Amino acid sequence: MTVPGNEAELLTRVVSGDREAFDAVMRGHQDRVFSVCLRILGDREKALDATQDTFLTVFRKAGQFQGRSAVGTWIYRIAVNTCYDQLRRAQRRPSESLPDHVDPSDPSAEEAIESAAVRPEIEGALAQLPADFRNAVILSDLEGLSLPEVAEILGVPIGTVKSRVFRGRRLLAKHLGNQNHQ
Amino acid sequence: MHDHPLDLIAALADGSLSDEAEARALIESCQECRDEYRAQTEVIGWLAAAPAAEMTDLEKAALHRDLWTELRREPGKASTTPWWQRLSYVAAGLFVVAGLVGVLNNVEFAGGGEASDTTVAEASAEDGAVEDAPTEEVPFVAQGNDDSESATETTAATAETSAGGEDSLPLPFQELADEARAAQADRVATLGTDRDVEECLARLALDEHVVVDEIEPDQIYLLVMPEDPEAEPIVTFVALPVCEIVYVG
Repeated sequence: MTVPGNEAELLTRVVSGDREAFDAVMRGHQDRVFSVCLRILGDREKALDATQDTFLTVFRKAGQFQGRSAVGTWIYRIAVNTCYDQLRRAQRRPSESLPDHVDPSDPSAEEAIESAAVRPEIEGALAQLPADFRNAVILSDLEGLSLPEVAEILGVPIGTVKSRVFRGRRLLAKHLGNQNHQ
Repeated sequence: MHDHPLDLIAALADGSLSDEAEARALIESCQECRDEYRAQTEVIGWLAAAPAAEMTDLEKAALHRDLWTELRREPGKASTTPWWQRLSYVAAGLFVVAGLVGVLNNVEFAGGGEASDTTVAEASAEDGAVEDAPTEEVPFVAQGNDDSESATETTAATAETSAGGEDSLPLPFQELADEARAAQADRVATLGTDRDVEECLARLALDEHVVVDEIEPDQIYLLVMPEDPEAEPIVTFVALPVCEIVYVG
């Protein structure tokens, strides 16, 4: 995996508190970070919170980036871990699930929610998957990341990712009643 | 099923094989493999058809605003000025704010005259509206106004301030300062994203300064100080949107 020089340089500037550099990093990755968070958390408001927490962590830990992966991969790993943390907190403190929050002053939000929606039956089937399988499928098949990238983000070997993606798809198919395999 | 190379089938389904011949031959000869391949490709197709999840423009703007608000609370990162020094700046500035706000409550600014960067406001005793009213040095320059009624108000307000000294300010210092700060807390936190502010400070050669407070009794006044912690902490007030320095000291 290569490290885009300009992005790594941007992170170096972020370490010194360069606001423009940080804004550039955000602009480059905020959409996918949000998308990953939304797929994992299944709630728009929580996804927005997780996106903010992700970039707070990126800013705080920019100095720890060692260039062993692409900046984006490093950021998405932070995003996934942030979502894990949020899910763990939610499990410890269960609360009533709220519908997607829509800013009443933002008419485009409704449209955004609809356009981003996976078919409800697929969304439901995804929600039933074990978290490890679900996240591998989300990153690979929904976000279109490569298997090495997914492995880096999830912190597991590529073989494990292959297995999780394969088994996740199989469970999805099973939940959706479209195949006969276990 | 475990005897079948399922990873090969999965790789064929997601298109990651460089040579598909072996996998193609496999699914031709094995019904179970064929079913598995079909199930995998169907799921991939459903997921690939899902549109990207995107934030709206307002959500993006809120994200950036909230993020910088949060980062500004952290010492030493979003700003190079140590928190304790910025705090001392604010404390020093509040003394000035008290005087400024106190007089702003009484002085008419609507004339649109020119401001200068001196520290003395020469209230309109020269106008002769109230000949005996004493004048008082106040920490800004009131914008000139030839309207006699306004001049009268200005002079009278100055006289009131002068007669009682600092104790006769319209509101006690602490209450005044708290009011100004509380009313502007949110906006101050987001000033860094305000392009107008940045452009104004650059135009006034104050781009190496940091905004530490803001008040807006009638119009917006920024309290700025040098960002360089080694620099002398000179307080400067900038009036927006006219973008003029109204006080340096």
